[in-house]
Amino acid sequence: MNTNEQEKRLLEKAKSLLSEAAENLDSQTKKRLERIRLDALTTVERPGAKFFLPPRWITASAFVTAAIAGVAIFFWLRASPGNFPGKQAEDFEIITSAENIEFYENLEFYRWLATKENGS
Amino acid sequence: MNIRDKVNQFLTHVERRAFKMAKYATGNVDEALDLVQDAMFGFVRHYTNRPEDEWNVLFYSILRSRITDWYRRAFVRKRVLSWVTRANDSEDEGDPIQDVPDTRTLNAFEDILRHEELLALEKAIQMLPLRQQQAFLLRVWEEMDVKQTAFVMGCSEGSVKTHYSRAVHTLRGLLEDIRS
Repeated sequence: MNTNEQEKRLLEKAKSLLSEAAENLDSQTKKRLERIRLDALTTVERPGAKFFLPPRWITASAFVTAAIAGVAIFFWLRASPGNFPGKQAEDFEIITSAENIEFYENLEFYRWLATKENGS
Repeated sequence: MNIRDKVNQFLTHVERRAFKMAKYATGNVDEALDLVQDAMFGFVRHYTNRPEDEWNVLFYSILRSRITDWYRRAFVRKRVLSWVTRANDSEDEGDPIQDVPDTRTLNAFEDILRHEELLALEKAIQMLPLRQQQAFLLRVWEEMDVKQTAFVMGCSEGSVKTHYSRAVHTLRGLLEDIRS
């Protein structure tokens, strides 16, 4: 028998023995393998479900965009506190008016003066 | 037959061989089962939409990758432990995967071995460096051709031929020694 034939017989024998060993696993290992397989199968998607799923890069881009938009809205709302002086139309008029700002600074005094005059 | 049934059938077909392959590499039942689990989940998540004739190669590619990762972690763990305990001051060089010390017990198969020939063969396979072991098992057991084996192992076809040739040569020598 030459070397090639010896090698061929060795490999055939090896394959046969290995297959036999795999088939004759102990029952506990077989059960654990079955459990692993069944667990893995729960993640198999239903046929057609994949079709409607966007590619991963689109999902990732959408997530990043949504996150940036969320942060932008957060800062926008923080930068718009409720006591913003130009919130109401009358305040807006004051801001845009070209009249002397000192008049408005003393507005309370003038109002008090007017009530005193009307009262007297 | 729906996709779930097809995947179930495929995984049933490969699970025991995959487990044995992982066990030859790790020498540990629990580690081997963990690796098979990782490979199955990875396969189901990413590759079941691929043509069925590619499944075998893709599955073993994932398993091989997981085994290699396990070897790297085992190597680092071993190195750190040896450094901490100062048990070994020598510097290892070369391929870290192939140089990982064999910590596996040869008696780990006693409960499943049926006869002396199988024991001898499995011992011999365990003694092979990881890449030779993988090349041998994929080529002989899974009957993959050189191209498929190269894809699974992530190396060139030339490397596969070299690993496989060395594996067969080593096995022949080891089995003769054991039998004599």
